[in-house]
Amino acid sequence: MELGIFNNTYSYLSEAFEKEHLKERSFESQSLLAKRAEAFQLFNLKGFPSVKNEDWRFTNLNKVFKEDYQFRKQEPAFSSSTGTIPGLKACKIVLVNGKVSPELSDPLPEGVSFLSTEAALAEEAYSGRIGAIAVQGENAILGFNTAFFKDFYVLHVRAKKLIETPIHISHHFTGNTEAALIAYRLLVLAEELSESTLIETFHSDLQAPVFLSYVSEFSLAESAVLHTHWVNSASEDLHLVHHREVEQFRNSIFNNSNLSLGNAAFIRNNLNCRLKGSGTETNLLGSYVVNGSQHVDNHTIVDHQKPNSNSMELYKGIMLDKSHAVFNGKIFVQIDAQKTNAFQKNNNILLSDQATINSKPQLEIFADDVKCSHGSTVGQFDEGAMFYLRTRGISEEAAKRMLIQAFVAEVHSKINISALRDYVSQLLQTKLERDNLIIA
Amino acid sequence: MLQIKDLQARVEDKEILKGINLEIKPGEVHAIMGPNGSGKSTLASVLAGHPGFEVTGGQVLFEGQDLLDLKPEERAREGLFLAFQYPVEIPGVSNMTFLKTALEEIRAHNGLPAFSAKEFMKLLREKQDLVEFNTSLVNRSVNEGFSGGEKKRNEILQLAMLNPKLAILDETDSGLDIDALRIVAGGVNKLRSSENAFLVITHYQRLLDYIVPDVVHILSGGKIIKSGPKELALELEEKGYDWLREVETTE
Repeated sequence: MELGIFNNTYSYLSEAFEKEHLKERSFESQSLLAKRAEAFQLFNLKGFPSVKNEDWRFTNLNKVFKEDYQFRKQEPAFSSSTGTIPGLKACKIVLVNGKVSPELSDPLPEGVSFLSTEAALAEEAYSGRIGAIAVQGENAILGFNTAFFKDFYVLHVRAKKLIETPIHISHHFTGNTEAALIAYRLLVLAEELSESTLIETFHSDLQAPVFLSYVSEFSLAESAVLHTHWVNSASEDLHLVHHREVEQFRNSIFNNSNLSLGNAAFIRNNLNCRLKGSGTETNLLGSYVVNGSQHVDNHTIVDHQKPNSNSMELYKGIMLDKSHAVFNGKIFVQIDAQKTNAFQKNNNILLSDQATINSKPQLEIFADDVKCSHGSTVGQFDEGAMFYLRTRGISEEAAKRMLIQAFVAEVHSKINISALRDYVSQLLQTKLERDNLIIA
Repeated sequence: MLQIKDLQARVEDKEILKGINLEIKPGEVHAIMGPNGSGKSTLASVLAGHPGFEVTGGQVLFEGQDLLDLKPEERAREGLFLAFQYPVEIPGVSNMTFLKTALEEIRAHNGLPAFSAKEFMKLLREKQDLVEFNTSLVNRSVNEGFSGGEKKRNEILQLAMLNPKLAILDETDSGLDIDALRIVAGGVNKLRSSENAFLVITHYQRLLDYIVPDVVHILSGGKIIKSGPKELALELEEKGYDWLREVETTE
């Protein structure tokens, strides 16, 4: 019997579910309320996952629960910055503390629609998908979101539409004065033969910590192409547990990047791709540059279920100070998934004796005609390169900065939107400028 | 410009340099020849400030300043340059960024304003021509996937861009075919002036046909055992390194 975390936040939630939460949700359909009840039951039984749970072995949620969190009444808030990416032509949707801010958001092009909570829940076609892609199983933290999410957004790209302007969802957290729980979710439907780009950025400016539970479910129909980018530049008071579940049907292409370049104290990303059709392509990029006592955990699953699919995964990270990063990448090749090509690479550099990386690649292959490889490395800087740079007049600190940028450039250079690439390199530079990089 | 007095250095427990004396004046080209393992590359590394070597004795003055007190980057900013025997590949750092950063650091140290992008490009194109360096290589990562000859030409390109007072060429001729050797030597010759100096380290006399030295030193067993005019290199080439043993025993 695994032990969960049953703390004050848990007790608060256990009580609040019926007394407060369900009362606010009376407008919801019976089927959704039943789904919530079931999810709550799981969460109530298991609590938050502790390090005894294999999937959370290296990531201790108790770090987050130094404070007792509660759902707070979120006043309509304005964010000081709107998280604009300089030079990027995009349709922006701004969410402040999980609530959409229509006055800060742009109209969308024809062929895409974005629905907010009430409208989205009113349609069974959308609300019925909740928890149908990201199936909760025994996952209590997923259950927590399903039971308690306050907002639900849908991004729906219609069949055969080519949406050239990226959709930019900018997530802001601001203005709270007490430790707050925020929980919401997103459903993205990419219909057949559509192509679109979704950029998500995270920003925060907080007076008290926020524990954010964010679940996103993606469905890519036959021959749909979806490019998604996720850039986290939030400040240290944000604690994020994110679960993204993607289902891909025949010949669809999913490209995802997940970059943690901010100062958020705690980030857990679960990214699961279920390749349910043949001929799919999946490219997953990730980077994390962490310092101080930051904790960033990336768990990924690429599940090849049908033949002739390709997946490529590259995550690179740099750990400074007392930071801790986790990479856990699973690849499944199911018995039907012949002619699968699946590659995974995770490279890390530790720049301090007190920094930690737990890197665990896992490959489970049940088919016999496949090409798969995975590799994980942990290293330090190449002393030869350091010396070479220094003999050209470049200071030790500048040389270190150059080598950090160079190390993650393998990931960042693959971002094909130049304004976003510039934004990312600017974020990294800002992060590196603030840090003292000379470490014994 | 450079005065080396009784320089001794070791790596881990192994004594490699056992008392080197050498003086180089502006406008001069000195060559150091010697068999493998004589300490040639160690001397180059110690002068550039490689952290893997420990100086156990002696003194090095560069323009009157104690060189051994300076960090590698400070030595570079003061005008010392080492062309590496094995230039390092740095994936992800573009050659252009690298050159620009280095040049800016050195110019800032000398109280000079940073170049505009236009000025930098003009200088770069000029120096590229000097070593027939392909523009596509400038845009690539530093030395990544370069051929041996391209790497060596990149060293000379950096030398030309940074315009040091003293350049040490550590076996720049190794692994070069004759065409590449001519290009590299031609580049060096065009950079020679009465203000700067070169220390050319080589195993073979061939390079010295193209970069003609004022003085040739023979290094063996961690010491300079003989110095002389450029003809010494020819003599050494003719008689082979075995001849050195006789020189050593007679002196």
